[in-house]
Amino acid sequence: MNEQRPGLTISSVALLVVLFLQIPVIVVMLASFSETSYLTIPPQGWTLKWFEAVLTDRTYIDAIKNSLILAVGSTTISLVLGVAASYAIFRKLVPGSEALTSLLMAPLIIPSVVIGVALLQYFTLVGMRGSFWVLLIAHVVITVPYIVRSALASLSGIDLAVEEAARVLGANGFTTFRLVTLPLIKPGLVAGALFSFVTSMENVPVTIFLAGPRDTTLPILIFTSVEMGVNPSVAAVSTLLIIATAIVLLAAERWTGFHRFV
Amino acid sequence: MKSLRTGALLLSPLLFVLLAAFVVPLLLLVPTSFQEYRPGQGIATDVWTLQNFVRIGADEFYREVVLRTIGLGIAVTLSCLLLGYPVAYLIVRGNPRWRLPLTLLVIFPLMLNLVVRSFGWIVLLTNRGVVNNLLIDIGLIERPLRLMFNMTGLMIGLTHIYLPFMVLMLVAALQNVPRDVESAAATLGSSRFHIFRAVTLPLTAPGIISGSILVFVLTISALVTPRMLGGPTYQVMATLIYDEFMLLLDWPSGSALSFALAIATIFIIWISSRMTKRWAGLA
Repeated sequence: MNEQRPGLTISSVALLVVLFLQIPVIVVMLASFSETSYLTIPPQGWTLKWFEAVLTDRTYIDAIKNSLILAVGSTTISLVLGVAASYAIFRKLVPGSEALTSLLMAPLIIPSVVIGVALLQYFTLVGMRGSFWVLLIAHVVITVPYIVRSALASLSGIDLAVEEAARVLGANGFTTFRLVTLPLIKPGLVAGALFSFVTSMENVPVTIFLAGPRDTTLPILIFTSVEMGVNPSVAAVSTLLIIATAIVLLAAERWTGFHRFV
Repeated sequence: MKSLRTGALLLSPLLFVLLAAFVVPLLLLVPTSFQEYRPGQGIATDVWTLQNFVRIGADEFYREVVLRTIGLGIAVTLSCLLLGYPVAYLIVRGNPRWRLPLTLLVIFPLMLNLVVRSFGWIVLLTNRGVVNNLLIDIGLIERPLRLMFNMTGLMIGLTHIYLPFMVLMLVAALQNVPRDVESAAATLGSSRFHIFRAVTLPLTAPGIISGSILVFVLTISALVTPRMLGGPTYQVMATLIYDEFMLLLDWPSGSALSFALAIATIFIIWISSRMTKRWAGLA
């Protein structure tokens, strides 16, 4: 029915808001190709020199490497620990499943900066501050809720009879999980892992309190260098991140219908 | 029991990590918040004091920061709601062919690194930034407007950062509104605005509330965007906590402020989940 379609006013307002959401993205990309160190509209002259500056700068390369190692490492650990724990909770293998779920989701509710300062004090006390392993564990803590959330949601959608059928046919618990349950919850887990990866990749409030000078991550590097003023190489590295994000998002959408899980 | 053993085996690694690197560190922050910081000497562990908590309400500077944080939370929530509702409405009720691209355009900024998004706003809002240059070029202003290091900058930046969350919450809520109810109202002669006000809006109230709670809680605990757009002088609670731990080394004060922030957050989430449960019971 015609009345139920949004009118022209609402549609144009909505489209303007969606445009507003993309503006910083567009501006950063323009700035990274612009000749001048301050972006003008329209940009004056095009150049790739800022990209060259980034890709030949050891600090940037190291930070990108650290971020990737941390994101892949923490997501992998979170996946293994989180899926195991979620499965135990879902099958009610232990009592108190509701309290356990709340505990596993708690890092999402406590403000990150508070987790950050708590870990700073704690790891200073035990004398482990500045270690890469501390950073990795901290990233597991902040990323695991996303895995648990998607694992529990996907598990609740599967029919337990399928698992029972596998058991009746002689598969042991682990084989059943690997060959029957895991494939069924895989799309949800891919989405959860993507959230976890993104969360680790962009985290500042926890990382900044724990990262030793050699473990600087990309967001920390951008965060601290912006305090010195607007620098076009920050725009260039940001553009690289924008392109990577767009590719990952589109790929995830293609593989798993990602938007269903957001 | 075999299942209990399997369950404990599956759960214990994660529980161990969370206890060792989340629960215990948070608990250890409690005694710190009752200790006294003496400038130049460090933290006195022999005295216990409530001073750190009292100061949050009593000291003028702290009070200003807390009130600013709350005000910012409310303002950002309202602007996200006002800007987000039309987008959610268009996604759910508009041409189905637009739904996927629009949804992806809303998710995209959400997946993009927070630091990058905040940096984009710096490029736009700084004194010699895009917005000021544009306004000067078309002759609207003569000298650059102050768009950063104040409420304006934080409002714009944080609204942009948290708008996608609001849109996604509202989309979920709007999808649950049965179209029949709206067409029934239309058949009975209601105007489009009246249908929206009397049918759609009340039916999406749970989504409006949960979206607002989410945006408010995220805004009051935000560190990155307020620091990048507010600079070192225009403080909110999270940036003040950061400075107290990293620059002033006044950990007791910082811990007390951390607890104030965390407890506020937990309390708001708890209240809202009780409210939504009660509503669900009534419906």
